[in-house]
Amino acid sequence: MNEEPELSAAEMIERLEPALSPGRRARAVVALVAGLGGALFTTGLWWTEPGPLPGRTHLVFGLLTVICLAWAGYGGWLVTRRVPLFASDRVAAAWIALAACLSTSAAVAVIAGQRGSGLGVSLVVGGLLVVVALTLLVRAHARRAALLRRKRELTGEV
Amino acid sequence: MTDELLVVRAQLGERAALAELVERWRLPVWTYVRRMLDAERADDVSQEVWLAVVRSLPRLREPGRFAPWLFTIARRSVTDRLRAEYARAAEQAHDPGPDVAVAEDAIEAMTDRAELVAVLSGLPVLEREVLVLFYLEELSVAECAQICQVPAGTVKSRLNRARRLLREHMEGYPR
Repeated sequence: MNEEPELSAAEMIERLEPALSPGRRARAVVALVAGLGGALFTTGLWWTEPGPLPGRTHLVFGLLTVICLAWAGYGGWLVTRRVPLFASDRVAAAWIALAACLSTSAAVAVIAGQRGSGLGVSLVVGGLLVVVALTLLVRAHARRAALLRRKRELTGEV
Repeated sequence: MTDELLVVRAQLGERAALAELVERWRLPVWTYVRRMLDAERADDVSQEVWLAVVRSLPRLREPGRFAPWLFTIARRSVTDRLRAEYARAAEQAHDPGPDVAVAEDAIEAMTDRAELVAVLSGLPVLEREVLVLFYLEELSVAECAQICQVPAGTVKSRLNRARRLLREHMEGYPR
Protein backbone atom coordinates (compact mmCIF):
# COMPACT_ATOMS: atom_id res chain seq x y z
CA MET A 1 0.00 0.00 0.00
CA ASN A 2 1.66 3.18 -1.20
CA GLU A 3 -0.95 5.52 0.15
CA GLU A 4 0.00 8.64 2.00
CA PRO A 5 -2.02 10.71 4.44
CA GLU A 6 -3.65 13.68 2.81
CA LEU A 7 -2.31 16.08 5.43
CA SER A 8 1.39 16.76 5.88
CA ALA A 9 2.81 17.11 9.39
CA ALA A 10 2.87 20.89 9.01
CA GLU A 11 -0.76 20.93 7.88
CA MET A 12 -1.77 18.68 10.75
CA ILE A 13 -0.08 21.00 13.26
CA GLU A 14 -1.79 23.92 11.58
CA ARG A 15 -5.15 22.21 12.11
CA LEU A 16 -4.28 21.76 15.79
CA GLU A 17 -3.43 25.44 16.20
CA PRO A 18 -6.87 26.52 17.48
CA ALA A 19 -6.60 24.06 20.39
CA LEU A 20 -3.08 25.27 21.15
CA SER A 21 -3.68 28.99 20.82
CA PRO A 22 -2.38 30.90 23.90
CA GLY A 23 -5.31 33.31 23.62
CA ARG A 24 -7.81 30.50 23.87
CA ARG A 25 -6.06 29.06 26.91
CA ALA A 26 -5.95 32.48 28.55
CA ARG A 27 -9.66 33.04 27.85
CA ALA A 28 -10.52 29.66 29.39
CA VAL A 29 -8.57 30.44 32.57
CA VAL A 30 -9.98 33.96 32.78
CA ALA A 31 -13.55 32.66 32.36
CA LEU A 32 -13.03 30.18 35.18
CA VAL A 33 -11.30 32.59 37.57
CA ALA A 34 -13.48 35.62 36.80
CA GLY A 35 -16.63 33.49 37.08
CA LEU A 36 -15.63 32.15 40.48
CA GLY A 37 -14.42 35.53 41.70
CA GLY A 38 -17.58 37.23 40.46
CA ALA A 39 -19.78 34.62 42.15
CA LEU A 40 -17.90 35.08 45.42
CA PHE A 41 -18.07 38.86 45.21
CA THR A 42 -21.78 38.95 44.34
CA THR A 43 -22.65 36.44 47.06
CA GLY A 44 -20.56 38.43 49.53
CA LEU A 45 -22.41 41.63 48.68
CA TRP A 46 -25.74 39.83 48.88
CA TRP A 47 -25.10 38.33 52.30
CA THR A 48 -23.70 41.49 53.81
CA GLU A 49 -26.47 43.81 52.63
CA PRO A 50 -27.69 45.63 55.75
CA GLY A 51 -31.41 45.55 56.34
CA PRO A 52 -34.14 43.66 54.47
CA LEU A 53 -33.95 43.72 50.67
CA PRO A 54 -36.88 43.94 48.24
CA GLY A 55 -37.68 40.76 46.32
CA ARG A 56 -36.47 42.25 43.05
CA THR A 57 -33.01 42.92 44.50
CA HIS A 58 -32.80 39.31 45.72
CA LEU A 59 -33.70 38.18 42.23
CA VAL A 60 -31.00 40.35 40.65
CA PHE A 61 -28.35 39.13 43.09
CA GLY A 62 -29.41 35.54 42.45
CA LEU A 63 -29.29 36.04 38.68
CA LEU A 64 -25.85 37.66 38.85
CA THR A 65 -24.54 34.77 40.95
CA VAL A 66 -25.96 32.20 38.51
CA ILE A 67 -24.42 34.04 35.54
CA CYS A 68 -21.01 34.11 37.26
CA LEU A 69 -21.27 30.42 38.14
CA ALA A 70 -22.23 29.62 34.54
CA TRP A 71 -19.07 31.39 33.34
CA ALA A 72 -17.04 29.50 35.93
CA GLY A 73 -18.57 26.22 34.75
CA TYR A 74 -17.85 27.06 31.13
CA GLY A 75 -14.24 27.99 31.98
CA GLY A 76 -13.85 24.79 34.01
CA TRP A 77 -15.16 22.72 31.13
CA LEU A 78 -12.76 24.43 28.70
CA VAL A 79 -9.79 23.98 31.02
CA THR A 80 -10.46 20.31 31.78
CA ARG A 81 -11.83 19.08 28.44
CA ARG A 82 -11.12 21.35 25.50
CA VAL A 83 -7.96 23.35 26.04
CA PRO A 84 -4.69 21.68 27.00
CA LEU A 85 -2.94 23.38 29.90
CA PHE A 86 0.71 22.39 29.86
CA ALA A 87 2.94 22.57 32.93
CA SER A 88 4.01 26.18 32.41
CA ASP A 89 0.41 27.21 31.64
CA ARG A 90 -0.75 25.58 34.88
CA VAL A 91 1.76 27.57 36.90
CA ALA A 92 0.60 30.82 35.28
CA ALA A 93 -3.07 29.83 35.73
CA ALA A 94 -2.51 29.01 39.40
CA TRP A 95 -0.87 32.44 39.99
CA ILE A 96 -3.82 34.14 38.28
CA ALA A 97 -6.23 32.13 40.45
CA LEU A 98 -4.33 33.04 43.63
CA ALA A 99 -4.26 36.74 42.75
CA ALA A 100 -7.98 36.69 41.93
CA CYS A 101 -8.86 34.83 45.15
CA LEU A 102 -6.79 37.18 47.30
CA SER A 103 -8.17 40.36 45.76
CA THR A 104 -11.80 39.18 45.74
CA SER A 105 -11.62 37.84 49.29
CA ALA A 106 -10.01 41.08 50.48
CA ALA A 107 -12.64 43.20 48.71
CA VAL A 108 -15.51 41.17 50.17
CA ALA A 109 -13.96 41.26 53.66
CA VAL A 110 -13.48 45.06 53.49
CA ILE A 111 -17.09 45.58 52.38
CA ALA A 112 -18.36 43.19 55.07
CA GLY A 113 -16.27 45.05 57.68
CA GLN A 114 -17.64 48.44 56.61
CA ARG A 115 -21.19 47.12 56.74
CA GLY A 116 -20.57 45.36 60.04
CA SER A 117 -22.16 42.08 59.03
CA GLY A 118 -20.94 38.77 57.59
CA LEU A 119 -17.24 39.49 58.18
CA GLY A 120 -16.61 36.08 59.75
CA VAL A 121 -18.30 34.15 56.93
CA SER A 122 -16.54 36.16 54.22
CA LEU A 123 -13.15 35.60 55.89
CA VAL A 124 -13.75 31.84 56.18
CA VAL A 125 -14.97 31.46 52.57
CA GLY A 126 -12.22 33.73 51.22
CA GLY A 127 -9.62 31.87 53.28
CA LEU A 128 -10.82 28.53 51.93
CA LEU A 129 -10.59 29.75 48.34
CA VAL A 130 -7.09 31.12 48.93
CA VAL A 131 -6.05 27.75 50.40
CA VAL A 132 -7.43 25.97 47.33
CA ALA A 133 -5.60 28.39 45.01
CA LEU A 134 -2.37 27.93 47.00
CA THR A 135 -2.72 24.15 46.77
CA LEU A 136 -3.16 24.38 43.00
CA LEU A 137 -0.10 26.63 42.79
CA VAL A 138 2.07 24.24 44.84
CA ARG A 139 0.91 21.28 42.76
CA ALA A 140 1.54 23.12 39.49
CA HIS A 141 5.07 24.05 40.60
CA ALA A 142 5.74 20.49 41.77
CA ARG A 143 4.54 19.04 38.48
CA ARG A 144 6.70 21.41 36.45
CA ALA A 145 9.70 20.72 38.68
CA ALA A 146 9.22 16.96 38.25
CA LEU A 147 9.06 17.32 34.48
CA LEU A 148 12.15 19.55 34.41
CA ARG A 149 13.99 17.01 36.58
CA ARG A 150 13.00 14.20 34.22
CA LYS A 151 14.06 16.28 31.23
CA ARG A 152 17.50 16.82 32.79
CA GLU A 153 17.82 13.10 33.51
CA LEU A 154 16.92 12.21 29.93
CA THR A 155 19.26 14.78 28.36
CA GLY A 156 22.09 13.90 30.74
CA GLU A 157 22.30 17.45 32.12
CA VAL A 158 23.26 17.82 35.78
CA MET B 1 15.83 12.14 20.90
CA THR B 2 13.58 9.60 22.62
CA ASP B 3 9.80 9.75 22.62
CA GLU B 4 9.85 10.14 26.38
CA LEU B 5 12.02 13.25 26.19
CA LEU B 6 9.81 14.71 23.48
CA VAL B 7 6.69 14.03 25.56
CA VAL B 8 8.24 15.57 28.67
CA ARG B 9 9.27 18.66 26.72
CA ALA B 10 5.82 18.89 25.15
CA GLN B 11 4.19 18.55 28.57
CA LEU B 12 6.33 21.43 29.77
CA GLY B 13 4.80 23.52 26.99
CA GLU B 14 7.48 23.38 24.27
CA ARG B 15 5.66 23.68 20.95
CA ALA B 16 8.65 22.45 18.93
CA ALA B 17 8.61 19.16 20.85
CA LEU B 18 4.91 18.72 20.20
CA ALA B 19 5.42 19.41 16.51
CA GLU B 20 8.20 16.82 16.41
CA LEU B 21 5.95 14.24 18.11
CA VAL B 22 3.28 14.84 15.48
CA GLU B 23 5.88 14.60 12.73
CA ARG B 24 7.28 11.36 14.15
CA TRP B 25 3.98 9.58 14.85
CA ARG B 26 1.73 11.00 12.15
CA LEU B 27 2.35 8.18 9.69
CA PRO B 28 2.10 5.24 12.15
CA VAL B 29 -1.18 6.64 13.49
CA TRP B 30 -2.54 7.21 10.00
CA THR B 31 -1.40 3.71 8.92
CA TYR B 32 -3.22 2.12 11.84
CA VAL B 33 -6.39 4.14 11.20
CA ARG B 34 -6.18 3.51 7.44
CA ARG B 35 -6.00 -0.23 7.97
CA MET B 36 -9.16 -0.07 10.03
CA LEU B 37 -11.13 2.42 7.90
CA ASP B 38 -11.22 3.69 4.34
CA ALA B 39 -8.99 6.48 3.03
CA GLU B 40 -11.46 9.31 3.40
CA ARG B 41 -12.24 8.43 7.01
CA ALA B 42 -8.59 7.75 7.78
CA ASP B 43 -7.64 11.40 7.27
CA ASP B 44 -10.63 12.61 9.19
CA VAL B 45 -10.19 10.22 12.10
CA SER B 46 -6.42 10.87 12.22
CA GLN B 47 -7.18 14.51 12.84
CA GLU B 48 -9.58 13.59 15.62
CA VAL B 49 -6.89 11.37 17.12
CA TRP B 50 -4.32 14.16 17.17
CA LEU B 51 -6.77 16.64 18.61
CA ALA B 52 -7.56 14.19 21.43
CA VAL B 53 -3.82 13.58 21.92
CA VAL B 54 -3.08 17.29 22.24
CA ARG B 55 -5.94 17.79 24.68
CA SER B 56 -4.95 14.83 26.85
CA LEU B 57 -1.17 15.11 26.68
CA PRO B 58 -0.80 17.25 29.84
CA ARG B 59 -2.50 14.45 31.81
CA LEU B 60 -0.27 11.62 30.52
CA ARG B 61 1.44 10.33 33.68
CA GLU B 62 3.91 7.92 32.08
CA PRO B 63 5.68 9.71 29.22
CA GLY B 64 7.77 6.58 28.64
CA ARG B 65 4.63 4.73 27.57
CA PHE B 66 3.58 7.20 24.91
CA ALA B 67 3.09 4.71 22.06
CA PRO B 68 0.49 2.46 23.76
CA TRP B 69 -1.28 5.56 25.09
CA LEU B 70 -1.35 7.06 21.59
CA PHE B 71 -2.76 3.91 20.02
CA THR B 72 -5.34 3.61 22.80
CA ILE B 73 -6.63 7.02 21.75
CA ALA B 74 -6.45 6.05 18.07
CA ARG B 75 -8.35 2.86 18.79
CA ARG B 76 -11.03 4.76 20.70
CA SER B 77 -11.49 7.16 17.77
CA VAL B 78 -11.72 4.28 15.29
CA THR B 79 -14.18 2.42 17.54
CA ASP B 80 -16.33 5.52 17.91
CA ARG B 81 -16.41 5.96 14.16
CA LEU B 82 -17.26 2.29 13.54
CA ARG B 83 -19.93 2.41 16.22
CA ALA B 84 -21.48 5.49 14.62
CA GLU B 85 -21.41 3.74 11.24
CA TYR B 86 -22.96 0.64 12.78
CA ALA B 87 -25.74 2.66 14.44
CA ARG B 88 -26.46 4.43 11.17
CA ALA B 89 -26.52 1.14 9.29
CA ALA B 90 -28.81 -0.42 11.91
CA GLU B 91 -31.24 2.47 11.47
CA GLN B 92 -31.16 1.96 7.73
CA ALA B 93 -31.79 -1.75 8.25
CA HIS B 94 -35.05 -0.92 10.02
CA ASP B 95 -35.97 1.47 7.26
CA PRO B 96 -37.47 -0.45 4.29
CA GLY B 97 -35.34 1.48 1.82
CA PRO B 98 -33.14 0.25 -0.99
CA ASP B 99 -30.05 -0.06 1.28
CA VAL B 100 -31.39 -2.86 3.45
CA ALA B 101 -29.39 -5.54 1.74
CA VAL B 102 -26.04 -3.81 2.10
CA ALA B 103 -26.57 -2.60 5.67
CA GLU B 104 -26.54 -6.00 7.38
CA ASP B 105 -23.24 -5.46 9.05
CA ALA B 106 -21.71 -2.00 8.98
CA ILE B 107 -18.32 -3.10 10.20
CA GLU B 108 -18.07 -5.78 7.55
CA ALA B 109 -19.30 -3.26 5.01
CA MET B 110 -16.58 -0.87 6.06
CA THR B 111 -14.06 -3.67 5.83
CA ASP B 112 -15.21 -4.30 2.29
CA ARG B 113 -14.81 -0.66 1.40
CA ALA B 114 -11.19 -0.74 2.55
CA GLU B 115 -10.31 -2.25 -0.78
CA LEU B 116 -6.79 -0.88 -0.95
CA VAL B 117 -5.67 -3.11 1.88
CA ALA B 118 -6.60 -6.19 -0.07
CA VAL B 119 -5.40 -8.85 2.29
CA LEU B 120 -6.03 -7.20 5.63
CA SER B 121 -9.49 -6.10 4.68
CA GLY B 122 -10.54 -9.73 4.45
CA LEU B 123 -10.05 -10.19 8.17
CA PRO B 124 -12.55 -9.39 10.92
CA VAL B 125 -11.95 -6.08 12.69
CA LEU B 126 -10.65 -7.50 15.98
CA GLU B 127 -8.14 -9.80 14.30
CA ARG B 128 -7.10 -7.12 11.83
CA GLU B 129 -6.53 -4.71 14.67
CA VAL B 130 -4.10 -6.94 16.58
CA LEU B 131 -2.26 -7.78 13.36
CA VAL B 132 -1.80 -4.08 12.59
CA LEU B 133 -0.70 -3.22 16.13
CA PHE B 134 1.60 -6.22 16.59
CA TYR B 135 3.24 -6.55 13.17
CA LEU B 136 2.90 -3.16 11.51
CA GLU B 137 3.23 -0.90 14.55
CA GLU B 138 5.63 -3.38 16.21
CA LEU B 139 4.03 -3.13 19.63
CA SER B 140 4.43 -5.89 22.22
CA VAL B 141 1.65 -8.28 23.20
CA ALA B 142 1.36 -6.47 26.55
CA GLU B 143 1.01 -3.10 24.82
CA CYS B 144 -1.57 -4.50 22.38
CA ALA B 145 -3.49 -5.87 25.37
CA GLN B 146 -3.40 -2.46 27.04
CA ILE B 147 -4.59 -0.70 23.91
CA CYS B 148 -7.37 -3.20 23.15
CA GLN B 149 -8.30 -3.44 26.85
CA VAL B 150 -8.23 -7.24 26.85
CA PRO B 151 -5.94 -9.77 28.63
CA ALA B 152 -2.64 -10.68 26.94
CA GLY B 153 -3.97 -14.21 26.38
CA THR B 154 -6.84 -12.82 24.32
CA VAL B 155 -4.38 -10.86 22.19
CA LYS B 156 -2.38 -14.05 21.59
CA SER B 157 -5.49 -16.02 20.63
CA ARG B 158 -6.62 -13.21 18.30
CA LEU B 159 -3.14 -13.17 16.75
CA ASN B 160 -3.28 -16.93 16.21
CA ARG B 161 -6.69 -16.70 14.66
CA ALA B 162 -5.62 -13.72 12.54
CA ARG B 163 -2.56 -15.60 11.28
CA ARG B 164 -4.71 -18.63 10.42
CA LEU B 165 -7.29 -16.48 8.62
CA LEU B 166 -4.55 -14.62 6.82
CA ARG B 167 -2.97 -17.88 5.69
CA GLU B 168 -6.31 -19.18 4.44
CA HIS B 169 -6.99 -15.89 2.70
CA MET B 170 -3.55 -15.87 1.03
CA GLU B 171 -3.98 -19.45 -0.16
CA GLY B 172 -7.26 -18.54 -1.78
CA TYR B 173 -5.97 -15.25 -3.15
CA PRO B 174 -5.38 -15.15 -6.96
CA ARG B 175 -1.70 -14.74 -7.85
